[in-house]
Amino acid sequence: MGLILKLKRSLRVPLDTSPLTPDNLNGRPLDEIYRLELWEGNRKTPLGDIFKIEEVDGGDLTIEGDLSKARRIGYMMKSGRIKVEGDAGLYVGEAMRGGEITVEGDAGAWLGSRMSGGKITVEGDAGDFVGSSYRGSREGMKGGVIKIKGDAGDEVGCWMRGGLIWIDGGVGCFPGIHMVDGVIFIGGDCQGRAGAEMTGGKVIIQGYLPTVLPSFRTSEVRGKVKVDDTSIQGPFYVFEGDLNEGGSGKLFVNIGRNSHIAWCERLIGEVE
Amino acid sequence: MEVRDVVCTVCGCCCDDLIVEIEDNHIKSARNACTLSTSKLMDHRERLESPMIREGGILRDASLEEALDRAAQILSEARYPLLWGWSLTCNEAVSIGVELAEVLGGVIDNNTSICHGPGLIGVHDIGISSSTLGEVKNRADLIVYWGSNPVHAHPRHMARYTVMSRGRFRRSRRERALIVVDVRRTDTARLADLFIQVKPNGDYELLSALRAAVRGEELEQEEVAGVPVAEIERMAELMIGCEFGALFYGVGLTMSRGKSRNIDAALSLVRDLNSRTKFTILPMRGHFNVTGANEVTTWLSGYPFGVDYSRGYPYYNPGDTTAIDILRRGECDAALVVASDPAAHFPAGITRRLMEIPIITLDPYRSATAEISEVVIPTAVLGVEAPGTIYRMDGVPLEAKRLVEPPEGVKTDVEILSSLLERVKILRG
Amino acid sequence: MELLIRNGTVFDPLNHVDGERMDIAVKDGKIVEDVSSRAEVIDASGMIVMPGGVDIHSHIAGSKVNTGRLMRPEDHYRDYEFRRPQRRAGVGHSIPSTYTTGYRYAEMGYTTVFEPATPPLKARHTHEELNEIPMIDKGCFTLLGNNWFIMDYLREGRIEECKGFVAWMLEATKGYAVKLVNPGGVEAWGWGRYIIGLDDPVPRFEITPREIVEGLCRINSMLRLPHPIHVHTNNMARVGNYETTIATMETVADQASGSPRNIHVTHVQFTGRKGSSWVNVRSGAEEISSYVNRRGHAELDIGQIIFGDTTTMTADGSFQYLLHILSGNKWANADVEVETGAGVVPYTYRRSNYVNAIQWGIGLELALLIEDPWRIHMTTDHPNGGPFTEYPRVIAWLMSRKARDKTLSKINKTARRRLILPGIDREYTLSEIAILTRAATAKSLGLTDKGHLGVGADADIAIYAMDVEKVDPSKEYRLLRRAFRRTAYTIKEGEIVVKDGEIVKTVFGRTFWVKPWVKGDLMERVKEDVRERFEEYYTVRFGNYPIPDSYLRRPQVIRAGG
Repeated sequence: MGLILKLKRSLRVPLDTSPLTPDNLNGRPLDEIYRLELWEGNRKTPLGDIFKIEEVDGGDLTIEGDLSKARRIGYMMKSGRIKVEGDAGLYVGEAMRGGEITVEGDAGAWLGSRMSGGKITVEGDAGDFVGSSYRGSREGMKGGVIKIKGDAGDEVGCWMRGGLIWIDGGVGCFPGIHMVDGVIFIGGDCQGRAGAEMTGGKVIIQGYLPTVLPSFRTSEVRGKVKVDDTSIQGPFYVFEGDLNEGGSGKLFVNIGRNSHIAWCERLIGEVE
Repeated sequence: MEVRDVVCTVCGCCCDDLIVEIEDNHIKSARNACTLSTSKLMDHRERLESPMIREGGILRDASLEEALDRAAQILSEARYPLLWGWSLTCNEAVSIGVELAEVLGGVIDNNTSICHGPGLIGVHDIGISSSTLGEVKNRADLIVYWGSNPVHAHPRHMARYTVMSRGRFRRSRRERALIVVDVRRTDTARLADLFIQVKPNGDYELLSALRAAVRGEELEQEEVAGVPVAEIERMAELMIGCEFGALFYGVGLTMSRGKSRNIDAALSLVRDLNSRTKFTILPMRGHFNVTGANEVTTWLSGYPFGVDYSRGYPYYNPGDTTAIDILRRGECDAALVVASDPAAHFPAGITRRLMEIPIITLDPYRSATAEISEVVIPTAVLGVEAPGTIYRMDGVPLEAKRLVEPPEGVKTDVEILSSLLERVKILRG
Repeated sequence: MELLIRNGTVFDPLNHVDGERMDIAVKDGKIVEDVSSRAEVIDASGMIVMPGGVDIHSHIAGSKVNTGRLMRPEDHYRDYEFRRPQRRAGVGHSIPSTYTTGYRYAEMGYTTVFEPATPPLKARHTHEELNEIPMIDKGCFTLLGNNWFIMDYLREGRIEECKGFVAWMLEATKGYAVKLVNPGGVEAWGWGRYIIGLDDPVPRFEITPREIVEGLCRINSMLRLPHPIHVHTNNMARVGNYETTIATMETVADQASGSPRNIHVTHVQFTGRKGSSWVNVRSGAEEISSYVNRRGHAELDIGQIIFGDTTTMTADGSFQYLLHILSGNKWANADVEVETGAGVVPYTYRRSNYVNAIQWGIGLELALLIEDPWRIHMTTDHPNGGPFTEYPRVIAWLMSRKARDKTLSKINKTARRRLILPGIDREYTLSEIAILTRAATAKSLGLTDKGHLGVGADADIAIYAMDVEKVDPSKEYRLLRRAFRRTAYTIKEGEIVVKDGEIVKTVFGRTFWVKPWVKGDLMERVKEDVRERFEEYYTVRFGNYPIPDSYLRRPQVIRAGG
């Protein structure tokens, strides 16, 4: 049984929507779901005060409305599908283990934070800290796929240790910061500091990158790079680093868009 | 009457050697005080003398009881109240503030989140190799100021703690080298043995290059962030070659592009340097008790600022639970402002958000925030009219004294907040 | 307020009560002979009644503890406590917030805890935190083993003035005991350097750790302080460091004539290793226990490790730096001018890790090989070895061979082969556990009204729901653990504060501090002498340094000497 949850009113304060996952709702009678309590600011409110529920065919959970103040849609979900028709708020898909989430609007910060499996697709933009860890922790995204059709903010893949983040648009600064493993693909421009403090993994930038960090070593030129089974056409300057962390992560920078980085070509012959 | 060992309550230096002359409940003069300090001690600005409540659109005088009742009512009814400020008051007041946030189910955030928050966020990932200021005074033979201009912002810092101080093992300016890194040649830079002019917003790259140089990596580029590599290598050599180095950083680093990652890089640099020599790093905190606000909030909630109690337990995530972000998203529905003037300091768009919600302000003066508040309660000036514990920028605790009596009827932050807490506890059950 | 605890199975070693069925009467916060019929009655049939736990060494309050909290939001965010009608909210795991600390101790039946490492310059911070830890009585030890004034005095042979200085320091910081951490070594670390042994002179001070230990031990006796010098020995980072531990005890052995104990060596597990490299490191517990069994002047606490994630934090800055290098984990350092240092590094002890498995074995071997339970206290050096909430697990290992074997079967095989622990049959009795966790610790601290249930004692009582007639703790160690995790009742100063494992009332205990007596003008002379150099060394004024009594929420002074 699929469900459509329609926001009955606008949200004034943050709404904790972490109980709204297919795993948690499937099989529950409707009146029980209406009585489920959600934290709305500092008060617990019955779901029925906030959402109108419609039962439909299929097994998806669809949430409609401006959910930019909602938190944790799809928190820890294991299976099933969620579709958000509108903007979703912070922490979409936090600690997700499986299943699928699609956001038709924009998603807030911490999309897919601490994710270990499953798939998230955002039709619009995403905020900062896509696929990141929690503060102080080194356990960022471990597995799964995040796909963003628009742009993302700063610190994409912070402390990431596996999985794939694919961004069609551009990103802010510090994609791949402290990255341990995994792949970040950026279709558009990056504002800088790509791969900062990374120790492994791959960051691929098809657009413009103002500078390469001085703690990266020029490695080679490559015609293409593989992401899962897809071959991405370059050519790319490839840099290795972050040497400040003894890292062997790789930064792929599209040559065509980044002629200002051509200074590195003289070093390519010197690399053993 | 002369009062000695007075603790200054202006900047994070918390100089405690002020000598103040008092006559007829007025401060007549102060010795050992810098200009910022004297300004505060001899502040003759018009004071708020009576509590006020907004009625029919205008602020009118009210009794303290009325004001407290109204304040408690506004806060208790709120579904996501914000408790803001805290860095210009004492620990004892902050402690009550945290309990208030807990009882109300609100968010308590302090000035850190618009100033040195990035430094604390950097500590979560890297840790910090630090020490008290006396370690620097006694041992340091190399001082670095990065994105900080103590000559103006922390006037006695250099004389009391660094290059001009007199310690057990370092006795004069000659025994220390001074490096200043800034985007322009500041007055502090003019005193430096080596001045590195970094391109604005290029600090992260420069730190990255320095780290690489310290680690013995060869830099491929000829210039980083406007600084020739030869200079970077020279700075790295000085840092490795010293016996004890101290790096002080300010908002030039915390508030330029990169923010917490700038500090991440600086913390990592200092950590790396400890494998070659002894090195310490300290933040040049601007307010005299922002450190205390962090410490008290941390021991009570686990977290230093931006603590959200709305779901009944402390939750922290800067960017989510911090004031600017909450206001930007239009999520809070009431605010308590203690010893701070956000209406004057926040970005204009954020201040507009503030104006959409009822605010309770506790302040000695009729600030811009007071002007847009629903309830205003005058308070005594900490360190002048009210005593309390404060923490210096290096975490050393000091007791600020009461030097003179506050104006008639004006109470301390601790007294007001305690009364407010009592009422809120009754209303929230 | 009267209470009658009826028919419990009482363990009160200080009064030679060993599992007797008896009633305990409480009035106005004290244990009394009997009470009126108006007393509230607690039926403790089938339950164990013990004095409330007295923890002699646990890092719960102060600057480095808070640095640990700041550094580890990830420690808190998965372990939190909701606000409830009788209790404040908070966070936990290895570095709980202050309220949570007090509550979790009370839930386990602990009623007194000592914070063992207070830097004098930041002692106000320690007291501010202690003031906000509910439920327990508390105190703090003052760090003095790397203090410039002390090192200068001792080098110059000015023992009288040094004595006056120590007395003044305890009063100024409202401290309870004299604490030494890596004596001399933390001063060396102030320059980023290391001390390699008791006779390695401290750079620029030309005094040795041995001289510091001997000097402070002598002064401790001269002042007749209730607790002996509390020592974290040198060389904690060295692979084989048990010899330093024994040498440290030995060096004050000759001073001990007459007095019962003159040195407490803390968390000995960390300095109880033998060997020359991490690959062949072994337990030095046999050698250390052999010394302790032969010589009556020394006592220890174990510092047992628990497998899992925790946070290490000590005043031993050089050790903490080396642990950071070894583990690759984040690192905080906080040197304190003129006085001491600190370091914090998160750490995970793993069963499969050879060294960690040996460390785990060392703690238990020490406890099981030392014959006199009055001289070995149970601690985890919280949070260094593990969170204090794991004490029931340690109790189970001590009382049950079966529990030990279960854990042994899961640890690194080579470690298991090289430990003698598998061959030790000894199982602690409940009476002995009461000694290790309350009677001996109270006695060692000189707290005559604590750690026992005799008439006149503070009514700090723990009632555990385990029937000794029905349950053999050695076999059913899981029931033992469960019982000791949450009390049936905890009584603090005569009030029921925990019932069925839940906090029912928030109360605040007293802060104990020691005021040593010194002759008339000695203190004044010393202060004058110190004042001259004070402002040159420190960055605060002499007048702003001492902490007034009024700072402590509920101060309780203990006078020493005189």
